[in-house]
Amino acid sequence: MNFELTEEQNLIRDMVRSFAETEVAPSAGERDETERFDRALMFDRLAELGLTGIVFPEEYGGAGADYLSYAIAVEELSRVCGSTGVTLSAHLSLCANPIYMFGTEEQKQKFLVPLAKGEKIGAFGLTEPSAGSDAGGTKTTATRDGNDWILNGSKIFITNAGEAELYVVLARSDKSAEKHRGISAYIVEKGTPGFSFGKKEKKMGIRSSPTMELVFENCRIPGDNLLGQEGQGFKVAMKTLDGGRIGIASQALGIAQGALDATLAYTKDREQFNKPIAAFQGVSFQLADMATQIEAARLLIYNAAYRASAGLSYSQESAMAKLFASETAMRVTTQAVQLHGGYGYTREFPVERMMRDAKITEIYEGTSEVQRVVIGAALTR
Amino acid sequence: MNILICIKQVPDMESKFKINGEGNWYDRADLAWRMNEYDEYAVEQAVRLKEQVKDADLTVLCIGPDQVTETMKKALAMGCDRGVHIADADSYKREPIEIASMIAGFAKDKNFDVIFTGMQSQDRGSAQVGVMVAELLGIAAVTTIVGFAYDNGTINVKRELEGGSKALVTTTTPVVLTCQLGLNTPRYPTLPNIMKAKKKELLTLAADAGSVGSRQETAAFYFPEKKGGGIVLEGDAAELADKLIHLLKEKTGVLA
Repeated sequence: MNFELTEEQNLIRDMVRSFAETEVAPSAGERDETERFDRALMFDRLAELGLTGIVFPEEYGGAGADYLSYAIAVEELSRVCGSTGVTLSAHLSLCANPIYMFGTEEQKQKFLVPLAKGEKIGAFGLTEPSAGSDAGGTKTTATRDGNDWILNGSKIFITNAGEAELYVVLARSDKSAEKHRGISAYIVEKGTPGFSFGKKEKKMGIRSSPTMELVFENCRIPGDNLLGQEGQGFKVAMKTLDGGRIGIASQALGIAQGALDATLAYTKDREQFNKPIAAFQGVSFQLADMATQIEAARLLIYNAAYRASAGLSYSQESAMAKLFASETAMRVTTQAVQLHGGYGYTREFPVERMMRDAKITEIYEGTSEVQRVVIGAALTR
Repeated sequence: MNILICIKQVPDMESKFKINGEGNWYDRADLAWRMNEYDEYAVEQAVRLKEQVKDADLTVLCIGPDQVTETMKKALAMGCDRGVHIADADSYKREPIEIASMIAGFAKDKNFDVIFTGMQSQDRGSAQVGVMVAELLGIAAVTTIVGFAYDNGTINVKRELEGGSKALVTTTTPVVLTCQLGLNTPRYPTLPNIMKAKKKELLTLAADAGSVGSRQETAAFYFPEKKGGGIVLEGDAAELADKLIHLLKEKTGVLA
């Protein structure tokens, strides 16, 4: 057993941290304030650095690195900007990865290669107004017409929507089948007639990451765009979310680490009663708890990532990592604001943004409650 | 073209330094390590030169304990072709002439056209190794370069001098160039290149300083004593002005 990162993983962390601090951090506050997605910075630069296809083999335009490297990259981006972290996570885990796992060779060449190279952004359409945690309740329909499929319905809260060129979308293809069995996954290209975008959400956090509604009105897609087998969509979605949880857990970890780093700097500098507030035991005990929880979250994530790369089962581990890391992020960022006092409540300091960004990690890609369902079900099976 | 780049692994300068047990250097435990900043400019310039001339082979050389290979991997990921690690756990104790002798010993029969290195290391800061390598090899050295251009065997460099002045120097190969801040902006090693660096040749050689013995010794290594804090003057404006004039006369040569 070895807890040390490899030389490559260390180099990847150094590279992403340096990039994140130098290029991503300076505009994070402004992009949050103005709800601005900066594609050149938040995606195109990631592509230049080889981050958009980290875990995929070189023959599919990837870098051939492991899941731990991916987790580290999302963590380091999120340490300065949660929006940039989720842009990469949604693109890679939720769109490129299901195509890698379930796509035919033709689909991989046509769709995965440009995604991995970062020529196209990916997104994932699962959630509907009446089907959130209950993905089996999907109401968007896919009707066969000759060799094609016709999609009708809508998807909400879709990360990267509008900006992304490719969408993996879940739709009910068999109304008569049992609810989980009648769903299929499809690859939909932006610009397909009948596919449009609804309203852009005004969110509490990750405001620099676009979240929109997808609308399908008699949207005709070729039969070749069916991802996986017909009726296998629920499995595609669940496997996709297993990997996605590593990404979101890493995002939560990065946000928490960023908040701790900012708080350490602040509490060592801020003097009250003639000494730095970090010198008060009441403060240092809080810092100790924050750091300990962050380290525990990190080890849970790294273990899930290791298992994913080693080909071991990791559904339960990624659910535990996502549950613990996101709740840690919420707790740590709340404490970070508290320890900044009144300043922490203002936008002069980044912890205000980090606390808002942290909340979503307890909600998307499976709420904390759903993670407990996944873990509990595995325990009591 | 045959190009050598000499790099050093140094602690992150934002580390909290402690003095070692012998009291002659910093304690190496619990530090984060990185490539000497000036050497990053050297690596970047060498990679750019290769991109320009196409036909070039870049060897990166580093002296130190086994842990320096991680820093060498970064140079390989930035674009160097092969690495030579001279294994020497005691390299931090060696004086510049010993380090230069090891480099020259390796380079002497390899016909390097250009040897790039940083103008100094961030930790020891002697700024001697580059010029000593040139002297030992009997070739030219141009130091503290902030501009570089290569054209058909001729190298034009801009040097940074004191007082804000610059000098343009033309030289031919073989030459040692020591690189200064401002020469270029080092690239990030991309993730695919980090993965490819793993497969590049990295040769480890035993350290041999030859007959060069040590001629100097660090007698003490210490942090300067903290100087007294600033003086805060209080009172109304006229009073403050009087006090300030008094202080300037007493303590400085600003007012006679």
